[in-house]
Amino acid sequence: MNELEQALRHLGQELDVPESPDLVRAVRDVLEPRGGRARRRRRWALGVAVAALALLGATLAIPEARSAFLRVLTVGGERIELVDELPGIEVAGDLESTLGERLTLNDAREASDFPLRTLDEAPDRVYLGERGTVWLLYGTPANVRLLVAQTPLLTVDEPALRKKVVDGGGTRVESARVNGADGLLLTGDSHFLFLVDRRGNAVEASARLARDVLIWDAGGVAYRLEGDLDRARALELAGELR
Amino acid sequence: MYQGLAFRTAFLLTGSSTDAEDAAQVGFVKAWRALPRFRSGAPFRPWLLRIVANEAHNRRRASGRRATLELRATAAHPPDDAAPSPEDAALARERRGELLAALDRLDERDRDVLVCRYFLELTEEETSEALGVRRGTVKSRTARALERLRADVEVRA
Repeated sequence: MNELEQALRHLGQELDVPESPDLVRAVRDVLEPRGGRARRRRRWALGVAVAALALLGATLAIPEARSAFLRVLTVGGERIELVDELPGIEVAGDLESTLGERLTLNDAREASDFPLRTLDEAPDRVYLGERGTVWLLYGTPANVRLLVAQTPLLTVDEPALRKKVVDGGGTRVESARVNGADGLLLTGDSHFLFLVDRRGNAVEASARLARDVLIWDAGGVAYRLEGDLDRARALELAGELR
Repeated sequence: MYQGLAFRTAFLLTGSSTDAEDAAQVGFVKAWRALPRFRSGAPFRPWLLRIVANEAHNRRRASGRRATLELRATAAHPPDDAAPSPEDAALARERRGELLAALDRLDERDRDVLVCRYFLELTEEETSEALGVRRGTVKSRTARALERLRADVEVRA
């Protein structure tokens, strides 16, 4: 260890770090609320069922399904909820404000700890958003041709994005095999999309209506393609993303 | 057992005791809920630290700033060391203050890897797990960060 490294090690011992507060009670309150044990068991059961369904990758004609288990799906870092009506909160008019900080493609590559994939065509704009999500925008914010998102996944994370889709409405949800991985394709009517912070709370400013979307995850990264896409075009673009 | 380490990790990454408390608390809750997915035989400490570090990063980004770290009012000396003269102590403190300021001027990723390696005294492997990057990246990023830190300190000397 050289002199600078030793100085840093010594510096670490000289820092003014407050005593840790007692976290045990706060953590226990979250984990063991009144009646929590039974509720948690139900939540686990639901979670396991959802995961199993997502992994099966069977054809999911979701609008026809009425099972409570099929009202929530999680794939590619996104949680999709089928609801009776969309939430009433205001939808952001400014797309850019929901995407994050604008930067160059090279800076995005540098900032990402995963190999960023691109299409043959260079994106017109690039953004770095919450959870290290890199957004590639083709077109302009006012006239988006295609939006590609890549989010590094951590298995213990809450899904980074949440969608609400009207059950039985004009949005079709179907499974898709994307480069050998299980994915979901949402087409038809717009659906309600918002970001979720790490506590699982909705970031209201991020809410917007999303168009056709293909989502999947591979190699610890969640991918999503958004635009006016039919199944064939979405899968073709997914194949080009490398 | 891990409470102090989790809080210290979050504090060193955010510089804020409030954010650190939140990050450590949420980190413990998420770790508990994720335990069934924890690989048996894998080291627990870096796994937990990764969850806490993620929480800390999230809070730091949300607040758009990182509070700067500060030195303790009184420096500690190993019991077998003779106490330095007041002049030497003042000089040493000034140098440590300069080093700390230079560290705070590094970009987030350089700073984080040095915090893990030298303040938290994590191994390269543990740092790799805690920051969610490859071990080779930890090695190269540490070397680069040390160079930048050295250059910054020398320029201002």
